[in-house]
Amino acid sequence: MSSIRRSTRFLRVPARAGASFLLLFALSGVAPAFAQSPTTGSWREEIQRLKDGARVPHARRASVTRSVATIVTESEPNNTIATADSVALGDQASGTVNPVGDADAWFVDLAAGLFFSVDVDAEQDGSTLDATLELLAPDGHSLAFNDDFDGFDSRISYRIPASGRYYVVIRAFGNTGGPTLQYAINFGKVLCDAVGTEQEPNDAPATASRVTIGDSAVGELCSADANPAGDVDYWAFTGQAGMTIELDVDAAAHGLLVDPAVALFANDGTTRVAFNDDADGADPRLQYSITATGTYFAAVSTLTDPGGNPFPYTLHVRTVTPGPGDPITVRAEHLGLALGLAFGSAGDLFVSDLAGNRVMRVSGQGAVTTFATGIPNPTGIAFDAFGGLLVASPNGVYRVTPQGQTTRFLSDVGFAVWVAVGSDGRIWVTDLLDRSLRRYSATGRFETKFALQSIGEFGPGPLAIGPSGEPYFSNGTEIWKLTSDGPRRVLGARFVLWGFAFDVTGRIYAPAPEAGRLLAFEASGATRADPYAVGPDAPIAMAFARDETGVTLARLFATDRLVGQVIEVNPASVPDRGLALGILPPPFSLEVAAQALLGVGVLSPSDLQYLDALGNRNGRYDVGDFAAFVRTVQALEGSNR
Amino acid sequence: MNRSAWIFALVTTLSVSAACSNDPVAVVPHAGTLTLRLTTPHVDDGALTFTLSGPPINNVTAANASLRLFTRGSGDATIIGVLVGDLATGAVVTLYVPDVKAVAHYSAHVLEVADRDDALRASLTGYALAVTP
Repeated sequence: MSSIRRSTRFLRVPARAGASFLLLFALSGVAPAFAQSPTTGSWREEIQRLKDGARVPHARRASVTRSVATIVTESEPNNTIATADSVALGDQASGTVNPVGDADAWFVDLAAGLFFSVDVDAEQDGSTLDATLELLAPDGHSLAFNDDFDGFDSRISYRIPASGRYYVVIRAFGNTGGPTLQYAINFGKVLCDAVGTEQEPNDAPATASRVTIGDSAVGELCSADANPAGDVDYWAFTGQAGMTIELDVDAAAHGLLVDPAVALFANDGTTRVAFNDDADGADPRLQYSITATGTYFAAVSTLTDPGGNPFPYTLHVRTVTPGPGDPITVRAEHLGLALGLAFGSAGDLFVSDLAGNRVMRVSGQGAVTTFATGIPNPTGIAFDAFGGLLVASPNGVYRVTPQGQTTRFLSDVGFAVWVAVGSDGRIWVTDLLDRSLRRYSATGRFETKFALQSIGEFGPGPLAIGPSGEPYFSNGTEIWKLTSDGPRRVLGARFVLWGFAFDVTGRIYAPAPEAGRLLAFEASGATRADPYAVGPDAPIAMAFARDETGVTLARLFATDRLVGQVIEVNPASVPDRGLALGILPPPFSLEVAAQALLGVGVLSPSDLQYLDALGNRNGRYDVGDFAAFVRTVQALEGSNR
Repeated sequence: MNRSAWIFALVTTLSVSAACSNDPVAVVPHAGTLTLRLTTPHVDDGALTFTLSGPPINNVTAANASLRLFTRGSGDATIIGVLVGDLATGAVVTLYVPDVKAVAHYSAHVLEVADRDDALRASLTGYALAVTP
C-alpha cells in the first residue's frame, strides 16, 4: 500500500481524530458550529499513528457465526443491483473484483429481525484485494458500509428492519481491480455465542461475570436478539482501599477496526467513577485509585457502532504502582463537564463547565455555586490583571467581573481554546481556528499574533505562562514554549496533555485525560513522575491553590471532566509553591491614578510600571495609560460611564 | 461753613459721584456657564490632558456623559484636567463661573493626547482649546 493511498484512507475516517480538542465538544454533545473548518492537516499524523498501531496481524474473531451451505460463483456482469447475483442465507459467494472499477452485487432475501452478517475473506486468504462492502435496502438506498473491519477484510452486521430483498456490493478500495483481487463473502446470521470467560447475560451489575484482579477476562460484544441496541458486558471484582487498579481493554489491538470503551462503577453498580474510550489508540484503558474496599464493576461496551459487528476483547484487570501524588482527594463535585480551573485572589476556586455553558465557584469550604452563565462551551479560564475572570470559548473570550457580570471581551478570536495572563498583565489566547497564539494588552487591545502551524499535531491548545514569562502551550502530546527565536519544544509525552501548571521552580504538572493520570516533569522537560497521580477518571486541567490573600500555595488541584470533580493530589508530593499567576489588582483607585497623572500624589515605581503596562508601554505613565486604566476599571465595575 | 459741614459736604459729594460713575468695578457679575471647546485634527482621540487658566471657576464637568473628566487645581487660577472618552471637535467641558462676562480672560491648552488605542500623539499640531460663551 502506498503512502499516498494510506493518507487518503485516513482522511476517510475523521472520527479517528478522537483525541483532538474538538472531540471534547463532541463528547459534551454541544459541538460548536464552525464558520470555517479548522485546518486538519496535522491531525493526519496522529490518525495514522492510531491506525498503524491498531493494524497488527490478523487475530481471528471469536464470534464466527457462519456455516457455509453453498459456494456460489459470481456471474458477470453483476455490477448493479439489477444484474446482481443471487445467494441465500448461509451461502458463500466467490468472485474477483476485475477489471479496474469493477463492482460485484449480490442479493439475498432476508426476514425482519434477522441479525444479518456479511463477511469478506480476501486478504486473510492471500488475495491482494482491499475490499469495501456496502449493504443496500430493497429500494436500493445504502444501509451500511464497511472498510477494513478485520485487516483489509470488511464485514457488516446489520439487524434487518423489514423482510425483503437486500443487496450486497463489494468493490476494491480506490476502485482498483485486477485478476488477483479475489474474494469470498459469507452470508450468515450473527449468533452471539458464548466467548471466552464471560457468561451471558452479563448486561447488568447484578449478572456481572467475575474477574479477579491480576487476571484477564475474555468476552465478546455482540448485539444479540435480547439486546439489539448494543451489548454491554459487566465484570465484577473486589477492590481494596489504597489500591490503584488499571482496566485495560484490547480489541483494536487484535487487528479489528472497532472502538470499545470501558467504565468503572462503584459498589452500587450505578455510580460511574471512571471511564475511558481511546487511551490506547481505539482501545480504552483507565486507572483508578480505590478509596473504599468493596465490589467494583467494569463495563465494556462500544460507543461507535453498538448494534454493529460483534467483536471479541480482552479485559486486563491489574494493579499499578501509585504515583507520588496519590492518594488524591475529591475537593468538589457536581461541576458538570468540569474543564478549566483557576484560583481567585481570595482563594476561591473557579471551574468552567463545558456542557453547562457556565462557570462555577467553589468556596474554601467546598460549597459550589454558579458564578457566571451564558458563556458558550467555556474551556480555559484565567484571572486578568484586574480581578476579572477571562473565559475561553468558541465564540471568543468572555470576561466576568467579580460580581458575576459577563461580557464578550475578545471577539476577534476564531475559536479560543485557552487563555492565560502574564505577570505583566498581558493576555494570551490560543486560537484553534488558525492555530495561532494571540497576545493582547491587559485591557484587551490586540497586539500581535504568532502563527504556530509549524509545531504540528493539533496546534497550540492549553496554555500557561512559564517562570520566565514566556507562554508555553500543548500541541497535543508535546509542550512547546514561545521564545524570541520562535517556538521551541520543551517536552513530549505518550498522551495528549491538557491544562498544565508550573511551580515556582519551573516544574510542569500536566494532566493526561486519555490515560486517566497526572504527569510531572522537571523544568528541563524530563519526566519526573509518570504517573504522578492516578484518576479519578480523565483529569484535564491543573492549577495551584492560592490563599485568601492571593499567595500561591504548594497545593495542587485538577479538574476531571468525566466525573465533574475537582481533586487535590497528595500535598506531601508537592515540594514547591505554584508559580504566581497574572498580577494582582492594583491597590489604588481611579482617582489616585488620575491625580498622579495630574501631578498630585505619589504612586510607587511598580504602580507606574503597572499602569504603563496597561497602556502604551512607552516607559512612562501618561494619558494613554490612564485611559486604559479607566476602561479597565469601568469594565470591573460593569459600568459604561 | 464750619469744619463739620465741610466734611459732610465732601462725603456727600463723593458718594453721589460714585453712584453716578461708569467705573467697571461697579458692574454686577453674572454667574453662569461657559464651554470649553476642542478642535482636533483627528477622529480617534481617546484621552487628553489640558490646562485651563483665567478668572475664578466654581466647578467643571464633562460636557457629555460619554466623557470622564478628572481635575485638580494648580494655584488660584489654573486647573489641570484629563478627559477620557471618544473625543471629537466640539464641546468637551462645561465651566461654572461666577462671571460669564469674563470669558475672554480664560485660556486653555492641550498638553498631551492619546488615541483610542492608548498611543500618545507625537504632535499636537492642529489641536486647540477655547473657552466660549
